[in-house]
Amino acid sequence: MSLNSIMDFGFVIDRYGIFLTATFVFIGFMSFIYALATITHKGHRLEYYISLVLIILSGIGVALSRNLLFIFICWEIATFAVWRAVVFYRKPDQVSSGNVVFITNFVTAGIMLIGIGILYLQNGTFIITEIEKIDITAITLITIGIFAKSVILPVHFWLIPAYASIPSAIGGVLAGIAENLGLVLFFRLFSNNSNLPPDFCNIVAWIAVVSSLIAGGSAYRTNRLRYLLAYSTISQIAFILLGFSVGDFFGTSGAMLYILAHALAKSGLFYGVGTIEDVTGEANIKNISCMLRISPVLTVNMALLFSSIVGFFPMIGFFSKLMVVIGAVQKNIYFGFVAIASAIFTLLYSDRFYHELFYGEHCDIVDLKTARKPGVVESGVVFILALLSLILGILFYEILGYIGGL
Amino acid sequence: MHEIGPEIYREIYYVLLLPVMCGLFGFLIKRLRNEMGFLGFVLTFFYSLRIFLLLQNQTFSYSIASIAGIDFRIYVDNLTRFILLFNSIFALLILLYSVISMRKIHGESVYQLYLGLTLSGANGVVLSGNLILLLIFWNMLVFSLYGILLVGKKESVNAARKALTIVGVSDFVMMLGIIIIYVSVGDANFPVSPLLQLNTGVLISAYILLLVGALAKAGAMPLHTWIPESAKVAPASTMAFIPASLDKLLGIYFLVRISYYIFDLTQSMPIRMTLMVIGAITIIFAVMMALVQKEAMRLLSFHAVSQVGYMVLGIGTGIPLGIAGGLFHMINHAIYKVCLFLSAGSVEYRTKTTELDKLGGLGSKMPLTMFCFIIAAFAISGVPPFNGFYSKWMVYQGIIELNKETNLWVIFLIAAMFGSVLTLASFLKMIHSLFLGERPKEFDKVREVRFGMITPTLILALLCIAFGIFAEQIPLARLIYPSLPFLKIMPIGFWSAGLATILIIIGILIGIIVFLFGTALKPRPSKVFVGGEVLETEEARITGPNFYSSVHNIDMLEKTYQFGEEGAFDFYNYLRGILGGFGVLFRDVINQFFVLLYSSFAGVIAALGRIFSVLHSGELPGYIGWIFLGAIILLLLLAL
Repeated sequence: MSLNSIMDFGFVIDRYGIFLTATFVFIGFMSFIYALATITHKGHRLEYYISLVLIILSGIGVALSRNLLFIFICWEIATFAVWRAVVFYRKPDQVSSGNVVFITNFVTAGIMLIGIGILYLQNGTFIITEIEKIDITAITLITIGIFAKSVILPVHFWLIPAYASIPSAIGGVLAGIAENLGLVLFFRLFSNNSNLPPDFCNIVAWIAVVSSLIAGGSAYRTNRLRYLLAYSTISQIAFILLGFSVGDFFGTSGAMLYILAHALAKSGLFYGVGTIEDVTGEANIKNISCMLRISPVLTVNMALLFSSIVGFFPMIGFFSKLMVVIGAVQKNIYFGFVAIASAIFTLLYSDRFYHELFYGEHCDIVDLKTARKPGVVESGVVFILALLSLILGILFYEILGYIGGL
Repeated sequence: MHEIGPEIYREIYYVLLLPVMCGLFGFLIKRLRNEMGFLGFVLTFFYSLRIFLLLQNQTFSYSIASIAGIDFRIYVDNLTRFILLFNSIFALLILLYSVISMRKIHGESVYQLYLGLTLSGANGVVLSGNLILLLIFWNMLVFSLYGILLVGKKESVNAARKALTIVGVSDFVMMLGIIIIYVSVGDANFPVSPLLQLNTGVLISAYILLLVGALAKAGAMPLHTWIPESAKVAPASTMAFIPASLDKLLGIYFLVRISYYIFDLTQSMPIRMTLMVIGAITIIFAVMMALVQKEAMRLLSFHAVSQVGYMVLGIGTGIPLGIAGGLFHMINHAIYKVCLFLSAGSVEYRTKTTELDKLGGLGSKMPLTMFCFIIAAFAISGVPPFNGFYSKWMVYQGIIELNKETNLWVIFLIAAMFGSVLTLASFLKMIHSLFLGERPKEFDKVREVRFGMITPTLILALLCIAFGIFAEQIPLARLIYPSLPFLKIMPIGFWSAGLATILIIIGILIGIIVFLFGTALKPRPSKVFVGGEVLETEEARITGPNFYSSVHNIDMLEKTYQFGEEGAFDFYNYLRGILGGFGVLFRDVINQFFVLLYSSFAGVIAALGRIFSVLHSGELPGYIGWIFLGAIILLLLLAL
């Protein structure tokens, strides 16, 4: 067990890594553009840039690294950056949310580190591809860390206060990058791994699909915009984990495609919601209505983004959902039933929020005449993300050809 | 037989792309909107006709792409080419009508784009030879349905939302069914040979999931409620285009495909029985609702639902004659229902209302519209010799043939015939309400609609007659029977449409003679009194909506109607309610449980922190003592 084997922080540049890196960098870039218009204070901007860069770098690190220890370091950097982002404006409720974020992520990361340690002791290496002996205790502990980072039940709850507090500009990055770290680690370490105990992936798939269902149902019955985004993220991320856990071509490629689809759509929705909050000064859907009259452009863009989350053709979300469900049914038909139930919840909550926000029956609750119009930059970022969700949906086979090696 | 040449490939792409491309160009170039739309739809009709003529009695299949091992395949057989042709005919006629009727309507600018998108999607569904490719086109129609329902009145968003939810949910359900077949069979191409038997739980569940998609698209109960909701707000041409024609064609087309080209429905009596029960319930419940409606579009929309029952019932019999009858009824229904919607739309266009109690006496002002409406009304009511009679007659015969398998055939037959009687009753009320009786003064200046609106309606009315009188020679021999080549269709009983027509014409002529030489020449006008007071014409006007108030007021039915109006039979409400309940359970119980766990954990950490904080005395000697204690413990541990 030489120091060299521990400190071998080499990278693996494969098609998955490149695909994930490109996705993370693009999402980060969009966040940067959005922040130009929304984070104007100099001091805030500095802190924002630090958080943004740390999250992007940690995302790239996890996507490209082959060393578990290095991945753990990136993991903790991401935890730190997200924590700082949640307490961005230092308000008491943000500090409280930050504590939840930090404690949950830190404790579960500690648990994960023990698992990584056990794997190291058994295999004598941190290099993922060289790990052959897989101990059930180790993978259970690592999975707890993965679940917490990627907000899978029962360690998902930190995301709700985090989303409620985080500035929209970083929220998009949290949704599009930081929460994917657990998924990427799961993919690198466990997906299609023949050394795993036989039922491990089945159990993870069950947890994932149930998590997706429960979060989808919760999203349907919430009234706060950011809670919706949080529950929706939990639900969608769990759907991706389902894809990775069932493995094979459809599960894995579908999940990869889903990461892109979700990152584009959810960060777009985050920016859209942030814009609506800025325009109306409200965070509760009961107090917002008729946004169509304020911004038809935002209405169309949000419709496209919601459609991608729901999985309507020709958005990219359609194909990713289709492939994950094919993978799930191949493994176990019941996964398919629960996954479709979750997809139906997604349709219902998207429909409810979209229509209550942009149409609604009580147009008097927002002063439409004096309401500020969304800025060009804010609308532009949402537009680009919506447009990409559409274009990449039409060209999905090109992406699939790349990530699936077809 | 004509050799299949490369032009067929080109023509298939044309019918897929032309409608949406021309719609898009029309949307972008406002000045050429109508021209582009018209050009696109005429060309689509032309190429559909060419495909129809070139591929007679041939099957044609080729792969357009293979992605991830899924063979995206185009498949054309007799069933495809016939539906394809009628898709484009209905689209063209409705476009012609809407060019005038949709002027200055809210959302007019995107209307033709949605028409084009819908037609392209519908053609794609019909041309797909692979279930996943079919799903893609099917899903595309959700978008266009939602968009087109938003066009019209500003209040239409609720109807669009309801349609989006019901059709969207059914699409997901259908997606699962398709995936199960794909995983079970190894590919998703059809026709499947040999047909899949409905003898395992997995395949039965797959069939039921696909059935949900077909029934939601066709608008059968209980997935129908978006149609009456849409009728309240959508323009007549929209109602004619989607729920009345294209969605019916696609839903029933898909039902036939899954029942006889993928699965072998004939071998599963329980599933057939389920279909027939759905069909019978749909016929009766929807027509009962239609009977008491007081608004024209809503009344028609309930009939659009009721008639699906005949199709489902016919196809569900599993008897060749019944299946052919169901398919024939599909096309007949589309013809007369589009005609009815367009006629009612013409009335609305001129009078600005569809409330039956505000209308009346328009027959003399809009004679052509009345003619078309009456023809279509008789056709839907199953009056011979119109087309609706013939297809219903075939369905009845299919049900009678069922007597060898089940005694329940009597119930299905009664339901079907009773439904037909109620349909006639309902349309008598509507004909009276729109065209007969006293005309309100405000409509004195009403006149017939323009050429562009009446022409499509007239063509459809004439088709109702032609498809009835020449049923065997044209639609059955050239469209329906070739579409079901695996069936040996043996009509029972005797029916000669020509003879019946001659007898009916003679009867009508005798009636006219009696009328002219009897009452018509000696009218006896009288004033209307109530309690000795002479009523003005407007007050004395007998309107149609209350024709069947007595039915509505029957004790048991009154409650049922009340529940129906309040949405007690609305699947949409239950879906939202039940899933909403689960949502509350998930959010407030399960989530809160985990939050509570976290809070307890955080509380323990905080308590430990408080306990250990006692040790922080702030005095140096105390800390030195702890250091020594720690060092001793460490040494002891190392010594061990």
